[in-house]
Amino acid sequence: MNKIEIKKLIINSLNADADAVEVSGKLDEEGISYNFSETFSDKVLNKLFSAGLIVNREFEFVKYMNFAFYRIAITGVAAIIVLLISIFLREGSFSFNSFLGLSDNYDESIVCLLTGNL
Amino acid sequence: MINESYKVTEEVELVKASLNGDKNAFGEIVNRYQKMVARTVKGMLGDSIFAEDIGQEVFINLYYSLSEFRGEAKLSTYIQKIAINLTLNEIKRRKRFFSLFSQKANNEMYEFEIADYDTQERKEASEIVHKALMGLDPKFRIILTMRMLQGYTTKETAEILDLPLGTVLSRLSRAQDQLRNILVKL
Repeated sequence: MNKIEIKKLIINSLNADADAVEVSGKLDEEGISYNFSETFSDKVLNKLFSAGLIVNREFEFVKYMNFAFYRIAITGVAAIIVLLISIFLREGSFSFNSFLGLSDNYDESIVCLLTGNL
Repeated sequence: MINESYKVTEEVELVKASLNGDKNAFGEIVNRYQKMVARTVKGMLGDSIFAEDIGQEVFINLYYSLSEFRGEAKLSTYIQKIAINLTLNEIKRRKRFFSLFSQKANNEMYEFEIADYDTQERKEASEIVHKALMGLDPKFRIILTMRMLQGYTTKETAEILDLPLGTVLSRLSRAQDQLRNILVKL
């Protein structure tokens, strides 16, 4: 198959009504096929069954980490919401001062508190 | 070595045996589907040894998620979905890495090891296929891989990719336009 023919084949493979099986068959005939190495299967089985425990532990660890992350994230979000509600109920607004708990204090009283000049 | 008796065994029985820790049964699954996985992974990532690592990861993931396989869909579809997810994750990882640490263009982040071809024509054809695939945007590349390399129909492609048929049809047409622009330069 020459260059032009192969290009045509690739483009035509994307026609909605193209016979995709025929296209992939033609590519196979041209030697364009993807394969793993001959030892691929043995490598996979060795990883699973020889070093199975290690892989399994890694897999379980990642699984538990994901699970733990969601638990922590959800708890964190819930805590933030409770905090916001309590601030709003106590201070009546979401201003910067209410977050710092300063809404009841005047600037002068803070100066007095800091300097000790009561 | 794989047990001969599993050659005619049904998928469900192979899955059950694998879940019971039968190495031969799982080996048969690997043997049956490794070519299909190779087409997807190497079609998406390029023909290299790194793609083989992803291929191994596909089957390791399959082994640990076999208990979730309910047999409602074909095992091949289930494996194909794992392969697609892992390759798309790898592409995202490479994109992040290349955007941070490399000046290479997007299509240069995929490896291609030229195999020994008996004729110059075949070698050229293989290079054209590789460049066509790697030049495409990943969302179009997966469509081309499913159609051209795996031989799936449009409907099957939509099912495997969990996309509406209309979306697949529109992507086919857009991919074809992109492909024409790529191939004209080759």
